[in-house]
Parts: sequence; C-alpha cells; structure tokens
Amino acid sequence: MTTANSIGTDTPMAIPKLDYTPQMSPEPELTPTEQREKPNYLNWQYGLLSWVLTVDHKRIGLMYLVSVSIFFMFGAIAAGLVRTNLIMPTGAILELDQYNKAFTAHGTIMLFLFLIPVIPGVLGNFLVPMMVGAKDMAFPKLNLMSYYVWAAGALFFVWQLTVGGLDTGWTLYPPYSSKYSHTNVLYAGLGIFITGFSSILTAINIIATVHKMRCPGMTWGRLPLFVWAMYATSVIQILATPVLAVTVVMLAVEKIFGVGIYDPTIGGDPILFQHMFWFYSHPAVYIMILPGMGVINEVLTCFSRKNIFGYKAVAWSSVGIAVVGFLVWGHHMFLAGQGYFLGQVFALLTMLVAVPSAIKVFNWTATLYGGSITFQAPMIFAIGFIILFTIGGVTGLFLGSMGTDIHLHDTYFVIAHFHYTMVGGMMFAWQAGLHFWWPKMTGKMYSDFWSRLAAVVMLVGFALTFLPQFVAGYMGMPRRYPNYPPEFQIYNVLSTAAAYLQGIGFAMPAFYLIGSLFFGKPAGNNPFRATGLEWQTSSPPGPHNFESLPQVYFGPYEYSVPDGLKILNDGSTNGVHSNGSANTDKGAAHGS
Amino acid sequence: MFASLDTSGFLPPQASEFAVQSDMLFYYITAVCILGSAVVYGLLAYCCFMFARKEGVPSKRILGSTKLEFLWTSIPLVFFLSFFVWGVRLYDIAINPPPEAHEREYFVVGKQWMWKIQHPTGQREINELHLPIDTAVKISGTSEDVIHDFGVPAFRSKFDVVPGRITSAWYKPNKEGTYHLFCDQYCGQGHSQMVGKIHVLSQENYQAWLDGSYRIREGKNPVDGSPSWEGRKLFFKLQCVNCHNKESESRAPSLEAIYKTKRAIQGGTTIMATDDYLRNSIRNPMLHIRDGWKPIMPAYTRSQVTEEELLNVISYIKSLRPGDLPSRTESTPAPVGAKTQDTQAPAGGN
Repeated sequence: MTTANSIGTDTPMAIPKLDYTPQMSPEPELTPTEQREKPNYLNWQYGLLSWVLTVDHKRIGLMYLVSVSIFFMFGAIAAGLVRTNLIMPTGAILELDQYNKAFTAHGTIMLFLFLIPVIPGVLGNFLVPMMVGAKDMAFPKLNLMSYYVWAAGALFFVWQLTVGGLDTGWTLYPPYSSKYSHTNVLYAGLGIFITGFSSILTAINIIATVHKMRCPGMTWGRLPLFVWAMYATSVIQILATPVLAVTVVMLAVEKIFGVGIYDPTIGGDPILFQHMFWFYSHPAVYIMILPGMGVINEVLTCFSRKNIFGYKAVAWSSVGIAVVGFLVWGHHMFLAGQGYFLGQVFALLTMLVAVPSAIKVFNWTATLYGGSITFQAPMIFAIGFIILFTIGGVTGLFLGSMGTDIHLHDTYFVIAHFHYTMVGGMMFAWQAGLHFWWPKMTGKMYSDFWSRLAAVVMLVGFALTFLPQFVAGYMGMPRRYPNYPPEFQIYNVLSTAAAYLQGIGFAMPAFYLIGSLFFGKPAGNNPFRATGLEWQTSSPPGPHNFESLPQVYFGPYEYSVPDGLKILNDGSTNGVHSNGSANTDKGAAHGS
Repeated sequence: MFASLDTSGFLPPQASEFAVQSDMLFYYITAVCILGSAVVYGLLAYCCFMFARKEGVPSKRILGSTKLEFLWTSIPLVFFLSFFVWGVRLYDIAINPPPEAHEREYFVVGKQWMWKIQHPTGQREINELHLPIDTAVKISGTSEDVIHDFGVPAFRSKFDVVPGRITSAWYKPNKEGTYHLFCDQYCGQGHSQMVGKIHVLSQENYQAWLDGSYRIREGKNPVDGSPSWEGRKLFFKLQCVNCHNKESESRAPSLEAIYKTKRAIQGGTTIMATDDYLRNSIRNPMLHIRDGWKPIMPAYTRSQVTEEELLNVISYIKSLRPGDLPSRTESTPAPVGAKTQDTQAPAGGN
C-alpha cells in the first residue's frame, strides 16, 4: 500500500463538481429511457416466482431488507411500549408481566431478528459479491435457503412472542427460564435455534465467496474493508453460533426430560448456562458491530475523498476484535459467582479488546484529515456513528473494570452503554450503509434535504434518549424495572421524550426512501463518485453484476487520484478499478 | 411502594467507605474518558470544519502513519491497563471482608419476590435490613428459586444470589440513614417489587432495635426474633388484644407509650409504670386498679404464662408507641407476595 508509485499527490487536478451523473462509465452514456430499458436485476424477470425462487444475491438482499425492516418495526413498537410505561414510577400503561414481555420482545427481536441479520443479510448479500467482482455468492442456492431458514425461524419466533409471549429477557437465564417462567421459552428457543442456522449458512457463503470468487487483481490487500469486516464477522458466526444452539438445546433437554444441566435442584449449575450463553452472546455483539464498522470505512473514505488512514491497522483490528472477542465473555459475570481469578483474566482481556476499537476510532478520525469532505446523509450518519460509538466505547470501560462494574452491573448504565454501541454504533452504520448504497440498489436518488434532516433528528434523539440513562444507572436504577423509585422519574421522562423524537427520526427514511422509488431522480452509476467495484457497474446492476470480468489494479480507496488509472492507461476513461478489457500488465506494480 | 429517599443531585448517597473508594475509580475513569473523547471530538470537529470541500482543493493522499498508530495504540492501552489494575484492587476489597466481619454474618434468602434476612443474633426481617453504623458486617445469601441479586447502590455493592450456592458481600456503613435495596437480577413478574430498605442505625439504636424497642416508623412491628416480637405473639395468644386494642377504650386502657410514665390509680395516688408495675398488672391486676376503669382484668398465673413469657410480654408493652397497638381482629400477615412493608394496607398489619 505504501509502495512508491507514479500516482503522486502532486498532480493537481480539478475535483469534478459533485453531481448525480455517472462519473465513470464503462459503457457509452445512455439516455434515461435507455437506462430504464436496459435489463437490470430488478426488471429482467417478473412475477412472484422470480422473486421467491431467485438465487440472485441482490434480490435476496432486498428480501432481507424488507424482512428486517418489518421486524425492526415490531422491535421499535415494543421499545415504545417500554419507554412509555416508564414515564410513571408506577408504570403508565402496562401490567408487570406485560412490561416483562414487552422488553423481552424488544431485546430479542432487535438482536436476533434485526441487528444480527441486518448488515450481513442486506448489505453483505448485496455487496460482497459485487465488491470482490463476482457474479454471485459462491453458493447461490445455499444463500436462498439461508434466507428461508432465517425467515421461517423469525416468523415462528415472532408468532411465539405474540401468542403467550416470552418474559425471560433476551438472556434467558435459568432456572427462571427453565422452571419458573410460564411463557413460551421452549418454542421461542426453537425459533432462535433455527435462525442460528441461517447465520451459519450465510457466514459459510461469505467466507467461500471471499476466498474463491475474487476477480483478477483483487488481492487480500485490495479488499474493501467492508469485505474484511464481513469476513471477520462470518468467522465469528461460524464459531459462536453453534454454541448458542447447544445452549438452547440443553435448556430444552432439561425442560423436557428433566436432565439436570442448569437446575441446581437436580444437580445442574445455573452459572454454566451463563458461561455458554455469553460465549455466544459476547462475540454476537461483535457480529453486530463489525459489519457496521466496515460500512463506516467505505462511507468515510468516499465522502472525505481519502484513502483510509491505516488500512492494515483497521483490517487487523477487525481480526483482533474477532479473536480476542471470544475470550471476554466472563465480563458479563463478575458478580454471578464465577471465580475471582477467572474474573481477573476476563477483565484484562476486556481491556485489551477495547484497544482495537479505539484504534479504529482514531483511524476514522484521521481519515478525515486532509480530506475534501461533503456532508450528505451517509456521511452525517457516519460522523454520528463516530460520536456515539465513542461514548459507547468509553462507557464500556467502566463496566469492564471489575471494581466499578459491581455498582454499575445490571443498572441503566449498562442499558445506556450497549444502546450507544448497538444503536448509536450499529444502527447508525446501517443507516449510513443503506443511504450510501440505496442509489446502487434501486437506481434512484432520495431527497437530500429529508435524508440529512433524518440523520440529524436521529442523532439528537438518540443521544438525548440514552444520556439520562447513564445518570439513572449511576444513581442505581436497576434494569428491567417496570416500577421504580420516584427520584428516577426525571431521567425516565427525559429519556422517553427523546425516544419519541428518535422514533420520528427512524420513521422518516421509510417515507423518503420509498418515495424515492417513485419520484426519485435516476441516480446514475456512481452518484457519490466512489471507487468500489460495485460502483463501476450500472445502477441498478444488471442480473450478473458486471458486463465483463472486472480487473483490479489498486487498493480500494484511491480517492485522492480520481483519474489515477487514466494516467496509467494513457487516456482510458476507466477509474481506479477498471472493468473489462483494460490493459492488465500496466497496473501490476500498484496495489496495496 | 417506593418511598423517595434523600438524594443529592447526580450522585447516589455514599454510605460506606467502599462507596467512596468505588467512586474514586469511577471519577478517574470518567476523567480519562472525557479527556479521550474530547480529543476525538476535537479532531473530528477540526477536520469537519477545516477540510470541508472547497472548490479546486484536492484531498491529500495519506495512507497512514506507523508512529501515530503506535501512539494511539499504546496510550489507550496504558490507561486501560490502569483501569484494570485499579479495578481489580477495588474488587479485591469488595470480596474480601475484614476479619471482624466474619463474626457478624447476616443471612439473606431471596425468593420470588422477597428478601428474607436473618441477623447473627437471630432476629428476622423481610425486605428490610437494619445495620449498625461503623461495623463491618458480612452478608451471605442464597436463593430458594431463581437467581436474584442483592444490590445496595448506597454501598456500591451487589452480588448475585444463586440457587445451590452461597455467595457473599460485606459492608461497613458509615452514614446513618435509609437506603434502597434492589433486586438487580431479573427474576420474573415481581422483579421490580423485590425491593426493600437498608436502615443504618447508630450503635445504641441498633441495640434497641434488636431488643424490639426501637422502630423506624410508626405502626411497624418489632423485629421478628426479638423479645418484643415474642411478646406480641403472646399478646394475641393470651387474648390481651381483646380488650387492649386500638378500636376501643371501653373496657381497658390503652397500653401505648405508658412505660416510665405516671399512672393514676384508685385511691388518689399515682404510680410509676415500671417493669415491676407491668408485671404486677398481669400477675396480680387487683394490686393497682387504674383510676376510672373497672377491675375486670383477669390475673394470669404461672400456669398460663411463664416468667420468661411474661418478660417478653412486658418487653412488647414497653415498646408500644402511640399508634402501635394492634386492632382486635389483626393477625400477623403471612409474608407472601411482592409487597414491601410500606405498601401493605393498614388493615393488613405491621
């Protein structure tokens, strides 16, 4: 990456004015009418069957998009019930068990049916094959199966939540879940078990795609960081998800056959469940956040017109998080009765796993240095991500330090912390990614004004929702309390008020994005003048992504030399990534 | 159910030495984190303003810097490790009670959805714990059903109460007052009702409380296991409550707050209500008849109430304050359900 080459910064070049016309067109310019008639993955086949039986990764990605959006809405409604109930110290609208079902529904739906599948399912599916220059996933049929397994498990799970419900919290701790809860623990567990298979299958597919489907010139060092992040995520999914499955199966075995595994009255140990649960669920938070970090790399570089600062540091910090992230699960259990020295090891490793996240934040910030930054919606979301994820990250240090965790454990401080990482981090990254690639997926550009406004509303609403919860948590307010001492009311009212604002923010994209499908301007192939391979084809892409096999000459983020290859190729109009019959030997010296 | 307790601003009360130590680390981490975040936000703001797109100014091609990477790997690492070391030291204090605490071990049993607590001296409480000030005490607990967590924010203390295990914590309260007790581990429908109070009392009040003669609130029963509590049970068993109750004073005088007061007796004199007077009034009521009352109090012989029992009854009478006398139909409620003592209906007891 740092090898000297002829592309210096000393080539002054007018930056083309940002507009929504294609910047680099591998094919002759088409009029909008011709563009519409050109076959793309959306219009080359029609009919319901062409969607439900499709093996096209892009269509499957869109199916995920619709599904996870619906589940997000369910989870958001549950969150609305929870927050509204907390306006009053005695509970405003819900009975005690209704509240317990509401927060469990919020937690489980958001985690298992939204945060885990959203970026791998939608953006991973849609973009990984295109980013590596492939026609499709390595196993297209497996990809479709993975969607249906996930959809079946998810629908079954949501059905169980609506008939009878689940009141164990997403953590499902026995013996409460195994013996004392009167809700659908077994069937809900089965739903989670099924969706787990989908995670594993998608992960296998992505790993195989990255290994085997890269186009000529796409070396590991030239992979976009989003692909690196998806790769690291997939490795975690394959290693961790089976443990969750085993945990749930053991819970079922105990419940059905009375084998003492977790229940101390028949010889089990409830702490065993916690070890196994967190062995999955801690890496699971990295399953959720790593793809988001990948998106941020793509967005920040594009809108600041910069190379990523420290490509290797960012890529390897993902791998570091993935590896060390497996060894920190016990920091959820400092007070649960696990051994003191075991706790110390987990605390130390927790501090170590915080370092790669810090490295990423510094690298992202440094990426902006010397840039030429524009502030469209994806960039505002990405900056929001840095702001919120920083708070989420540093507040994790309070919880990773064993001494302070005693007081803060199981309080609203924890709630605020993980919402800052999961929503402030992941949700903002998802919005950044959705807004960034929406023109590529649909071929339409959404409203610039409304999208920027939505980003700001979400940012303000989110920050104000969870800041008071840090205070309430430090004051001692326990989590999962429908009723609480009146001195905490002020924090809860502030939090709920901001949550409504945040809700408005999250609802806005549904309107202007769907509106853009009907009224949006044609986006052109590359509206943001991004360098990734996915931008070098038409929007929406054709059924097979690329007209001809792409050839890669450079690392992914050569924004500061917009016409770099032009210099090399003596007047070729191709961009940094070149399509088709570009001269292959000229770019060989350049790369990561 | 929840009474609002004294709180000052954004800080929970610090009611033990450990709370102060815990907050020190909290403030240290807070300071470092605010500083670190300020650096990130400062750079972010600087870059966003300075490098906003200007016509004709291209972006610079910067690929990274090993020096900077080293810098922002090592500096956070050093701080993070300091959090770790300090955190372990603090945790070490939290889990290792001083030797004298082992001699004062309180037992806690959590069950859906209440805390049952027993003092080393035998007294029992539900959802409340009275502690002496400046005394290190150890709290050991287990659960009858699911996992609970015995959390006292004012002491910055918390430990999971796990079925099939005994776990413990220790406190050395250093500030009198009443503090929250929360169940911090989700335990089902009544999780948020599984709350209580920690009362930190002066040494004298704590001793008086153990005897049953000191109570924090009006109308509250003497603590289970104290002489007064035994006396209260006898008060019902021996049917004293039929005449001495809060509903009527037609047959018998009130017994509230009479200890060490002068009582007018027939014959135009007064007599100090001492222990001896109280004992005589039960064993041999005809000795002194209260002025204005008929001599209908039966004498309780040794076959009806032993001397030990009598001491308990006297202890109970001594502990009665205005409003404490039970009603005739009252019985001690079975401690079921999630209600704390604050919320029980007046007819329900206490």
